[in-house]
Amino acid sequence: MSPLRELQAGFRAALLADDERAVAPHVVDDGLSASARLAVYRHHVFASLTAALEATYPVVCRLVDRRFFGWVADQYVRVRPPAGPCLFEYGADFPEFVAAFPACAHLPWLADVARLEWAMNAALHAPAAPALEPEALRALDPAALARLTLRLDPSVALLASRWPVDAIWRANQAGANLTVTVDLDAGGASLEVRRVDDDVVFRALPPATFAFRAALAAGRTLEDAVEQALDADPAFDLAGEIRALLDERLLVEPGH
Amino acid sequence: MHPAGCGIGLRAPHVTEVLERRPAIAWLEVHAENYMTSGPARRALERLRADYPVSVHGVGLSLGSAEGLDAAHLERLAQLVEPLEPARVSEHLSWSVTGGTYLNHLLPLPYTEEALEVLCAHVTRAQERLGRRVLVENPSGYLRFRHSPIPEPEFLSALARRTGCGLLCDVNNVYVTCANLGGDAAAWLDALDPSTVGEIHLAGHAVNDVDGGDAARRTILIDDHGSPVADAVWRLFEGALGRFGTIPTLIEWDTDVPPLEVLLAEAAKAQRRLDTANDVAAA
Repeated sequence: MSPLRELQAGFRAALLADDERAVAPHVVDDGLSASARLAVYRHHVFASLTAALEATYPVVCRLVDRRFFGWVADQYVRVRPPAGPCLFEYGADFPEFVAAFPACAHLPWLADVARLEWAMNAALHAPAAPALEPEALRALDPAALARLTLRLDPSVALLASRWPVDAIWRANQAGANLTVTVDLDAGGASLEVRRVDDDVVFRALPPATFAFRAALAAGRTLEDAVEQALDADPAFDLAGEIRALLDERLLVEPGH
Repeated sequence: MHPAGCGIGLRAPHVTEVLERRPAIAWLEVHAENYMTSGPARRALERLRADYPVSVHGVGLSLGSAEGLDAAHLERLAQLVEPLEPARVSEHLSWSVTGGTYLNHLLPLPYTEEALEVLCAHVTRAQERLGRRVLVENPSGYLRFRHSPIPEPEFLSALARRTGCGLLCDVNNVYVTCANLGGDAAAWLDALDPSTVGEIHLAGHAVNDVDGGDAARRTILIDDHGSPVADAVWRLFEGALGRFGTIPTLIEWDTDVPPLEVLLAEAAKAQRRLDTANDVAAA
């Protein structure tokens, strides 16, 4: 390994694992110890990445309070530091980390709140794609239609939770009515998250609509998606559902 | 010649207000990585670009990484820069990536021939892909490496000479580095090749009292961009203008971001000094 490469690997160990053995001997420690100097850099790395996670997960942070969140973020940064410099892309697996974090075990709904926040963050930054015009489907014969894979808008995420994460999220927004309590036993939520113009929105979907759109979002053919929807509700109305997708400008041209 | 103007570093809390008010400000600088998105931030930047000169300031290219440049990230930078056609593109004399991990800080380099070769190769590659000159900024230093034989301003000047890149002189960083590592800030500026400097940055710093590791307390300056520009840095800036000429200058504020008015007032203070220096040069 080149000296510079070795030095940089040692710097990383000092910052992320508190292991200064490789780098400290290379640092001039006049006036201030090598350790105190490295601590300046370490502090910035953890403070800035914690701030980035807090920006993406504000409701999780509010739910557990900032000091506890800072501690969870600290542990997360150590084992899952960013792989790239765009910080709005950092923290995709933070929900899984929270789900497995022993100190969060008494908050079983917390990871799903984090999943909702990640879906909202991803929707905000998703590529824009032109909506499909209804004429594009009209030209197809029914057999071709069944084999078709309809593409949903890239910002769309379908998220199911056994907890009322939508109510939890809303109760923790600035200006929310503090007298409202969330009944955790009120049942789960089947949510569709998407970007509309510059805003990210979510709403609850009926079971068959959710199953249908979730299958499409997963890249399944129309035939498969209908099967999923009919399992959820035998009265599933395909024509009405496709019209709704077009009306909501949720279908996009293939290739986007 | 039209006198150089003072711009502001555009931060998220001010974007909407700048879009609505369109304040009289010479130019805007944005951090490249915040706009490598298809979200609303990107569209806001495109709208602002129609009314203001914009400079793209990268913080994540990690020009000093020994393991090589992240080609995918350079490509994303090119995709941002090409349609935007910014007035300037800049990056840092630092590294952030090792072992595929991005450490989210402008980390220090030993100033060796080996590091200079790494920097030269990466700056050349970036300039080739972007099809334009890049400015490289001096970092704030909190440590020195034992083996670092080339003084920082000479290292930067050599980088500019070998690659044709320009330099972004952050006057606050010069002050912070010299205070933390020992050195004379005015002499540091004198050692820089003035013909290479294409932009100046100004910001505030924090003065922290820390445990020196030997039971004594020491002062360390932290480049936190969280306060007005210090008096000593204003004086250094005036000296820099005398030496480099009046060049585009930027006020940055990143911690405890104040109301836009405060930032604009700080930029007006820099603008007055630019105008004075320009009058002196014209006389």
